[in-house]
Amino acid sequence: MVILTIMAIGMLIGGWIFPQKWHTYNNKLQVVSIVILIFCMGVNLGSNDDFMSQLPRMGLKGFIFAIIPILLSVGVVYLLTKHLMKERKND
Amino acid sequence: MIKAIILSLIIGVVYGQFFLEPSHAVNFSYLSDIALVVLMFSVGISVGANKQVFSKIKEHHIKILIIPIGIILGSIAGGFLCSILMDMPLNVSVAITSGLGWYSLSGVLITDLAGADLGTIAFLANLFREILSFMLIPIVAKYCNHYTAIAPAAATSEDTTLPVLIKYTSEEVVIMAVINGVICYMMVPVLTNLFYRIL
Repeated sequence: MVILTIMAIGMLIGGWIFPQKWHTYNNKLQVVSIVILIFCMGVNLGSNDDFMSQLPRMGLKGFIFAIIPILLSVGVVYLLTKHLMKERKND
Repeated sequence: MIKAIILSLIIGVVYGQFFLEPSHAVNFSYLSDIALVVLMFSVGISVGANKQVFSKIKEHHIKILIIPIGIILGSIAGGFLCSILMDMPLNVSVAITSGLGWYSLSGVLITDLAGADLGTIAFLANLFREILSFMLIPIVAKYCNHYTAIAPAAATSEDTTLPVLIKYTSEEVVIMAVINGVICYMMVPVLTNLFYRIL
């Protein structure tokens, strides 16, 4: 909840007072904070002695967690767009 | 970007496995908390500043929301199915598929909520979603319709997978892909937190 509140405050600032020319720095800040977070995640994982033996299992789970939502998203969007949206052709 | 992220993950794992003093582990937890606050604030600024998207939504009619809604519903349903298939807790499972392909944020959010092991699965799952999208977009564009080609990409449809969408769909669909991407980006932290807590 704290995280969402902070994001909401950011949205208000971004929408009202944040200068356009600072957005490059804002994007860089995102890259830096993501790199720090992923590094910390790595440290946390690596500190677990069983990490290497668990990696294949996590990879397989990750793959299943990717392909199933993809297929269902495709299915739902296809049904919705087929019935509710007409595609405009460019030609 | 993706190289920097994977490199920092590998360096982190190596450091954690071989060099970390157990007493120092807590410092990384503080660092991680601070970086997450900074990131979410910064993401908020990006989303808030993106006023064009909201005017485009009005311009293109509310129907434009059909695609992100479909993607989110499909991803949530995917979380339910994964929970049954892999015998995992429902809240974690749906929180992972709520990452919508934004692997870096999903990985850190799930780490924060449920620990580094599940965070890694979330990271990999959403990274695979992005990678698989590159392969599936051309196929979906050919055999379903152009709108549906946005579905595998989910949140990545406004950046990494956009070039593929430009190549295989029409201009109109590309505009929708960008709007879809922004909406999905906004929803990732909301849905992840929501489903982890309520399911």
